Amino acid sequence: MSADKVDINVDFAGIRLENPVVTASGTCGYADELADFMDIGELGGFITKSITLNPRKGNPTPRIVETDAGMLNAIGLANIGLEKFIEEKLPIIENLSVPVFVNVAGESINDYVAVVERLAGEDVISGIELNISCPNVKAGGITFGTDPKQVEKITKAVKKAAGAKTLIVKLTPAVTDIAVTARAAVEAGADALSLVNTFTAMVIDIESQRPFLANRTGGLSGPAIKPIAVYLVNKVYSEVAKRAGVPILGGGGIRTAADAIEFIIGGATAVAVGTATFIEPDAAVRIVEGIKEYCVRKNVSNIKDLTGKLK
Amino acid sequence: MVESTKKACIATVIDNDAIKRRFGRLTIQLEGEAARCFEQVKPGQFAQIRLSEAALPHPDHITNDLADIACRQIILRRPFSFCNVTVDSPTRARVEILYCVLGPGTLRMTTLSKGDKISIIGPLGNGFSVPAGKKLALLVAGGMGAPPLQHMAAYLKADFPKVRTFAFVGAKTLGDLPFTVEGLESGKPVITEFAKAGAESHIATDDGSAGFRGFVTECLTDWLKANKPAPDETIIYSCGPEPMLAEVARLAAQYEIDCQVSMERMMACGIGLCQSCAVECKVGGKDKTVYKLCCKDGPVFDAREVVFERR
Repeated sequence: MSADKVDINVDFAGIRLENPVVTASGTCGYADELADFMDIGELGGFITKSITLNPRKGNPTPRIVETDAGMLNAIGLANIGLEKFIEEKLPIIENLSVPVFVNVAGESINDYVAVVERLAGEDVISGIELNISCPNVKAGGITFGTDPKQVEKITKAVKKAAGAKTLIVKLTPAVTDIAVTARAAVEAGADALSLVNTFTAMVIDIESQRPFLANRTGGLSGPAIKPIAVYLVNKVYSEVAKRAGVPILGGGGIRTAADAIEFIIGGATAVAVGTATFIEPDAAVRIVEGIKEYCVRKNVSNIKDLTGKLK
Repeated sequence: MVESTKKACIATVIDNDAIKRRFGRLTIQLEGEAARCFEQVKPGQFAQIRLSEAALPHPDHITNDLADIACRQIILRRPFSFCNVTVDSPTRARVEILYCVLGPGTLRMTTLSKGDKISIIGPLGNGFSVPAGKKLALLVAGGMGAPPLQHMAAYLKADFPKVRTFAFVGAKTLGDLPFTVEGLESGKPVITEFAKAGAESHIATDDGSAGFRGFVTECLTDWLKANKPAPDETIIYSCGPEPMLAEVARLAAQYEIDCQVSMERMMACGIGLCQSCAVECKVGGKDKTVYKLCCKDGPVFDAREVVFERR
């Protein structure tokens, strides 16, 4: 099969992505920074850094530390806030030819709803990614994502606020059974699921005998978490998402096309590239090419035939 | 589209010399468009170098203090400033990087040899600038803060020949100075690399093994007291450990001299995506502060705006 015969576009909860590769929230800014290094139009989609109702300074430094085959971050949702986002970043986003999803975070359900209601009126936005899984803030974030009742409550409220916009709920791996929170989100109206967010972790400086990060703990990302993320995506796919017909945006340590394909075979309709972008700013578009090559080699004419095909 | 001034590119190693016990000087060559990006480079700017594919030295050549850390699988790039950049034709640039072997990244750097290809992203950030009317530049370096100031001395000599330049270079001990030191017997030792760049140097070592015994800031204080430079015509450029920068900033404020400091933070991407490298800065008087990014807004900041960390 030749490369031009391979169809790698996907239907992601009613939104057509030209290919299954999107940039993960918090690793690609608001698109302006990355434009120096690649054509964002070559991506399947784009997910912005988290937006909160009010601007957030974020945590003190150090905010990151490298670990074996990974890194911890505790940025603390530093962002410019909803108003400035609409004023300064939406005009940039407007020029992008790919679907854009805005990641939304907050400290209370009211916060989330206020932001989503406002964004729901913006035509240039394809959807909302609901961040209820950030491990690095004191209020909100992960506290919503670990309790199925809270997941249900917030998803319902935000779904209503989102109107016609696609709602992706981003799940945390910090639960005993991720299928339970996934089911709660789907039953409350999530159009898609995104997993996984980072794993709470700690690095200790043995000289000072203190945690290395100012926030004490951070979220582990990078190749170190990939096998766990693949397992969780496959678990959510087979126990919840497949039956419900809800697509999964899978990610966690994806660095290469081979990594991305593992997630797709495991059940992801689309994949999110995160930490790899820090190392190679154009990592995501390189992965698109690699996925095509794999399809040619494996005689897969349509990428949809690969999703969830785990034997 | 505005032509980008930073690039991800492949550089060729020209030279990699070991200096004293734990330093190295890496010379790389860039060609074509990548070289053009370095035409307008300013001292204090930096590049993100990918070292994860470089080999570790043979275990016999790894000192005991680095043996544990050498085992770490690195993924992130490492930021380095330049000690010298020469653009010998519009399409060929040579960049020199002075490094200290401290961890798993710089250990790998030692094994690079002539002809090797490495991936770099740069030049990044904002370098030092020379305001109008300055006739005297004081370069104040501590430890590995010296390389970009060597670059600054050469830049001043070439582009601002009327500016007199003095360098104050501090280290724990003579062996920690990654430079050629002449005139040790005379009691007034100077650094050859700075002399070549037209800067008269003053060395300060904690143990008095070369030059002034004590901190470089004490050496600078004595010089300021003795020479009373005209504040309007003088500027201080500084790079080194943060407590030293804080003291230099304090002295600059006391003598009402302009001062630019080059800051250092842990960073993942170097291009404004990860938000790791926050530097707390004062805004609009009072006690209001914001976090700026070391990689994008810096690494060079006006000393008056920085809230220095004291950890």
